[in-house]
Amino acid sequence: MTRPFTAFAVAVAALAAGAAAAHHSFSAEYDPERPVKLTGKVTEMRWSNPHAWIYLDVTGDDGKTVNWALEMTGANGLIRRGWRREDLPAGTVLVIEGWQARNATPTVNIATVTFPDGRTLFAGSSNPAARQQ
Amino acid sequence: MLRALVVSIAVAVAASATAQTVPRMPDGKPDLQGIWQAHSRAAYGLEYHDAKYLLPAGPSVVDGGEIPYLPAAREQQRQNFANRAQADPLSHCYLPGVPRIMYLEHPFQIFQTREHVGVTFEWSQVFRLIYTAGQPTKHEGIESWMGNSRGRWEGDVLVVEVTDHNDRTWLDAAGTFHSTALRVTERYALRDANTIDYSATIEDPKVFARPWTIRVPLHRQTDLPRLYEYQCQAEKEEANGEFERDPQTWYPAPIPEGNARFDARASANLPPPAVTGAIRRGPDGKPDISGWYELDAGGGNYGLESSPQIFLTPASRGLVVDPTDGKLPYQAWARAERIERALPHRGYDDPTAHCFVAGIPRSHYVPQPVQILQPRGFVVVLFERMAWRHIVMTPRPPLPDHVRLWQGDSAGHWEGDTLVVESKSFNGKAWLNEVGDIVSHMQTVVERFTPVDEDTIVYRATVTDPIPYTRPWTIEVPMHRRNDELLEVACHEDNQDLEHLKQVRDEYRAQQRATR
Repeated sequence: MTRPFTAFAVAVAALAAGAAAAHHSFSAEYDPERPVKLTGKVTEMRWSNPHAWIYLDVTGDDGKTVNWALEMTGANGLIRRGWRREDLPAGTVLVIEGWQARNATPTVNIATVTFPDGRTLFAGSSNPAARQQ
Repeated sequence: MLRALVVSIAVAVAASATAQTVPRMPDGKPDLQGIWQAHSRAAYGLEYHDAKYLLPAGPSVVDGGEIPYLPAAREQQRQNFANRAQADPLSHCYLPGVPRIMYLEHPFQIFQTREHVGVTFEWSQVFRLIYTAGQPTKHEGIESWMGNSRGRWEGDVLVVEVTDHNDRTWLDAAGTFHSTALRVTERYALRDANTIDYSATIEDPKVFARPWTIRVPLHRQTDLPRLYEYQCQAEKEEANGEFERDPQTWYPAPIPEGNARFDARASANLPPPAVTGAIRRGPDGKPDISGWYELDAGGGNYGLESSPQIFLTPASRGLVVDPTDGKLPYQAWARAERIERALPHRGYDDPTAHCFVAGIPRSHYVPQPVQILQPRGFVVVLFERMAWRHIVMTPRPPLPDHVRLWQGDSAGHWEGDTLVVESKSFNGKAWLNEVGDIVSHMQTVVERFTPVDEDTIVYRATVTDPIPYTRPWTIEVPMHRRNDELLEVACHEDNQDLEHLKQVRDEYRAQQRATR
């Protein structure tokens, strides 16, 4: 498990400083009035362009589990920083901070990712707040 | 007299025989360049197939007649065929894959250099970049729709190995499918100046019992002077109302009556970029600008004027160098429209949110790499977000006024060491960035690519557009040559954002209706 986390840490930290391949307005899609913090288990990493997605099962206070879609930068940006799709296995526990979509669906633009060992990392996407840190 | 006639006939016959020999590049390799198309029913079905609705009959192009399916795979193909109206990836305008793209009934243009064969297709401005100089793959094992193409010359035959396919494309409209284990070996052999004998050998042990080969001749399109555009998804969304006409910018919108006078001669008279080092040159002494470039886009995709970060929209350092105050010289109504376009309910209207082509000059500052090829008579730019532009370096007749293109019609020439490109015939559908800076169909663009050292080009674009502006303006973007390769951006195939943006827009419209 060490190697995936290390690769992920390097890739994501590099993204925090790098350019993103945005293709649409995140400000239009996500809601500044809906900051969210989620803890859950990765069910899938979708390796796609123009944006890659992490899917996370999150169990709410009501006991119901909802699968959240968490938007990142594009797959090509991750590839160029050495990340591969195997590097974030299903079952990994993540803590995500970001902003929820304006349409109130379980969709989030990622600002930060925290791993179980406490390291806080930044997930790129086109999120300038993440990039500035 | 009779003798003169006999001699001239003999000369004509000899000339005809010469024409049958194949054209060649300076290095002696066959010259595949030009516009080609299959005239075949292969795209409908590789095996013999009867006519069905929207599916004309055709003979088999498979050696031996039948595809050697494994039994379960043959059953899957039959189900695919039965469900083809929805199941065919092409019905969704998804990237067709290789080899299917080669025998769609759409023309494509081949460009050839010592290191690459670039194939640029009319169909959705898809391209293939085939590496022919033994370059090792820089990004191993990355699955994509169009695969990874590595070519080599075996005598006069170009042999291309295509690997790293995803499993989402079909090989024809009959449901012929494959897995990620697919390996395609293509052969391109010039039969004569106007015919390529094209074959593709298909290997996929998860679907087929043995390798099998198709043969489809490609014909030079001697009646077609240039490629046009067929933007499959954009045309589909326009047809079904999901992408709406902008009456202020789309052809043939007029100049608004209340516009302030347009001063076409206003200019800051910028000095040329400072050359700081030796530049690369080709055999003809002209600058060699070919290669893979990263664009120092400066946030231009989030505003051409200098702007701070606002929520999730990044800051822009400002790309405008003329006017010298860095402001776009908007007409008053256009400044108001630009502010409106940046609001959340207009995010859906940005064509690139739909994954449509970015247009010119936006293609040169969206944050994505580009590959420049410099074949004979052209400069070709391949954009990673799956689009190309051809800059023709030899004069050709202008397009009629009614022919309008996303990427415009571009002609280039050298002024000293600067490539100067003049473009017009735009359709006015593009936005200049995701906050909605405006251009219309009346824009003309003069771009200047100035190499300033071995690996840097200073790119400038001057836009003259009398609909939204009061005078021309110019932006500047540095381009840095790097040692990398293009990857594929299959955009609308996996675009999950558009539906969210549409809901934001629809909710806004519903509120507007409710308050009226």
